Amino acid sequence: MALMGNEAIARGFVEAGVSVVSGYPGTPSSEVIVTLHEFGAGSEIYVEWAVNERVAFEIAYGAAISGARAAVTMKAPGASVALDPLISSAYGGVEGGLVVLVADDPGPHTTQTEQDNRWLGPLAKLPVLSPSSPQEAKDLAVAAFDLSEELKLPVILRTTTRVNHAVGDVVLGPVRPPQRFREFRKDIPRFVRAGMLFNLERHRWLSSRLELTEGVLTKLYPGANRVEGSGELCVVTEGAAYNYVREVLEDLGVGASVVKLSLLYPPPTEFLEDALRGCREVLVVEELDPYLETVVKRVLYELGARAPVYGKESGHLPREGELSRRLVAEALVSVGWVPKTAVSPPAGTYPSPPPRPPPMCPGCPHRNTYLALLLAIARAGYRRDEVPIFGDIGCYALSFQPPFEAIWTEHSMGASISMAMGLKVAGYGGPVVATIGDSTLFHAGLQPLLEAVHKRVDVLVVVLDNSVVAMTGHQSTPAWGTTESGRRAKPISIEEVVRALGADRVYVVDPYDLDLTVEVLTRALREPGVRVVVARHPCALMEVRARGVTRRYRVVEDRCTGCLACVRTTGCPALYYSNGRVRVSEGDCVGCGLCARFCPYKAFEVVEVG
Amino acid sequence: MVNVAIASVGGQGGLTLSRVLAVAAVYDGFSVRTGETLGMAQRFGSVVSYVRFGDSVLSPTFSEGEADYLIGLELVEALRALRLLKPGGLALVASVVKPPLSASLRREELPAEALLEEISRYARTVRVPAVELALRVGNPRAVNMVMLGVFAATSGTPSDSSIRRAIAEVVPARWVESSVRAYELGRSFVLSGS
Repeated sequence: MALMGNEAIARGFVEAGVSVVSGYPGTPSSEVIVTLHEFGAGSEIYVEWAVNERVAFEIAYGAAISGARAAVTMKAPGASVALDPLISSAYGGVEGGLVVLVADDPGPHTTQTEQDNRWLGPLAKLPVLSPSSPQEAKDLAVAAFDLSEELKLPVILRTTTRVNHAVGDVVLGPVRPPQRFREFRKDIPRFVRAGMLFNLERHRWLSSRLELTEGVLTKLYPGANRVEGSGELCVVTEGAAYNYVREVLEDLGVGASVVKLSLLYPPPTEFLEDALRGCREVLVVEELDPYLETVVKRVLYELGARAPVYGKESGHLPREGELSRRLVAEALVSVGWVPKTAVSPPAGTYPSPPPRPPPMCPGCPHRNTYLALLLAIARAGYRRDEVPIFGDIGCYALSFQPPFEAIWTEHSMGASISMAMGLKVAGYGGPVVATIGDSTLFHAGLQPLLEAVHKRVDVLVVVLDNSVVAMTGHQSTPAWGTTESGRRAKPISIEEVVRALGADRVYVVDPYDLDLTVEVLTRALREPGVRVVVARHPCALMEVRARGVTRRYRVVEDRCTGCLACVRTTGCPALYYSNGRVRVSEGDCVGCGLCARFCPYKAFEVVEVG
Repeated sequence: MVNVAIASVGGQGGLTLSRVLAVAAVYDGFSVRTGETLGMAQRFGSVVSYVRFGDSVLSPTFSEGEADYLIGLELVEALRALRLLKPGGLALVASVVKPPLSASLRREELPAEALLEEISRYARTVRVPAVELALRVGNPRAVNMVMLGVFAATSGTPSDSSIRRAIAEVVPARWVESSVRAYELGRSFVLSGS
């Protein structure tokens, strides 16, 4: 059947008998848990979003040390959030299989950096597996659990966007019953990292377990590392890049042996020595860093082989961005394996239509909040360039685009508050504002807030609360009373939490009430101390889904002068300019009315619908 | 091997279209890959989906100049994605314009006729009154299903029966009926020119 890579991984988890799955939403990893929820895995299997990746990891680890099979999912930067417990877990090890899905994003398509998490292998000393296709993603997900259990080590399943979000034909396997708690034996040297002698001993244990990896995986999944084709020209590859390599070699009729790796750490040295022994030249095709390239060079050195190695370090492939069929073909030309004429020149010149970066949606409450903030800055007597607005990670970061150009930074989860504090303690005299979403606040914003409160630093924190993790496709937050699995949860109140943390002032406003929001923000800008303004209104997409659209706006043509006040003020994608007038895209308007409010000519009128 | 690029504005149903094609092609026994980027953050932004099917497909995407077909759910995005088409490739475009904010802020006019003309300067082009056809089934959002019918009738694959099964599998139940009808209208637009 046709499955997306992430759906295939979810299936693989179920086939392997997983019983605890945790994670934090993040593109391109989110659909694994979304899929498990859709298929009702909540009844026998614990499948829930956690507040952040480290908590998610620790939940899974706590389950796995008791013999349960557990998995945890995250995007690339999430792996950094989980890094502390991840590295320590290698010393304690597991009893039940523990699979850590880390989804990297060459491109990048939806991630702040092109962090290459294959380095987690040597850093954390944990095995790293990497699939190339949805089928292999499922099969390796199953094998990863067995490998983990046999080695007694967590195993990292590292994917990239072009595997997570690729749809392909997948053959399913049998489903094992969920493997739940068996026993948790007290074993102080194993699980207590306070004893330094224990730690040295566990480090030796870890090294001895790691050595077994290649042998165990080869038994569990014989095709994990393989050579396809033959010849003295060798291409070493893994992950999504393998697909481009195989197709391009075939298209161009190049006879080469393709050395395809699924085990990236510890490098399968025995296999590689055999595979590379007869190579005259080696091209390494991989995305992001020259990780395999260093492995290949080391293996060749050990073999005493003098074959030249081409790749990123030799400049034949780029270190940045994702690979493509074309880049691989061009690399084959540049290393001289195919004549230049074999690859058609890049497409000629084409028109470049006006760009369309994703904007905030029509009716998005964040639009109102940022607009109110900009108005409040003016009303409080400041110029816009006197009040730095720190941004955070979520849909609201789209406010960096015209016409708002509101946020000055967007850095990492929760950083808005601590970075705003940093600016103040460095000596900045004016007011500073941190803007942070509800889920991002729960994820990593509460400790920065506590820090600002404790050090008595003046900062205005605006919580853009749309009551959902919107950007990744509407996942639950700790404020929900019921989770996706149907689990009854205790809703956490943001205002109660920030009050308890000691914020000097706490306000709650509905940004759809623009006047009140401007008023509150103006007052808060002038006050000293840590002020928290919770701007709460549901995500417009969620609201439309729940309640439908009851009214829309349209432009009365002879009243519109085409002055663009509405477009310039709101940046709403439901508005567009045509024939000298502004129009409303009927199917996109959700009736928030912000445009009408800022029209100097009263050219908008309401249309009741449904 | 058939390479299809689907250009759309996030929220138009480009992803649903690529998924229906992929599922239908699997029913037909093809090897299939699609490549896309997902997430709410694509809404109202430029979106390109890649669909590939044939005897043996590995890569989820292809490069510029490799698409046999470009399906455009919107004309500005179709224009932007033209570079993906191979020489002699066919552009199937819905006569829909959603002017981007960047154009409106500059008072840039983007009339459908001019966009269509520009597109047809670079590729053989089939223009489809997709909104009118979608409105005929009472579902203005079914432009993607109209274009599915246009593609299937033009290319001859995937098979009609597989596409119907795929729509039923992929599209939410309450939209299946109007989606199938929109698909049929797209087909007959090509086959009988109406």
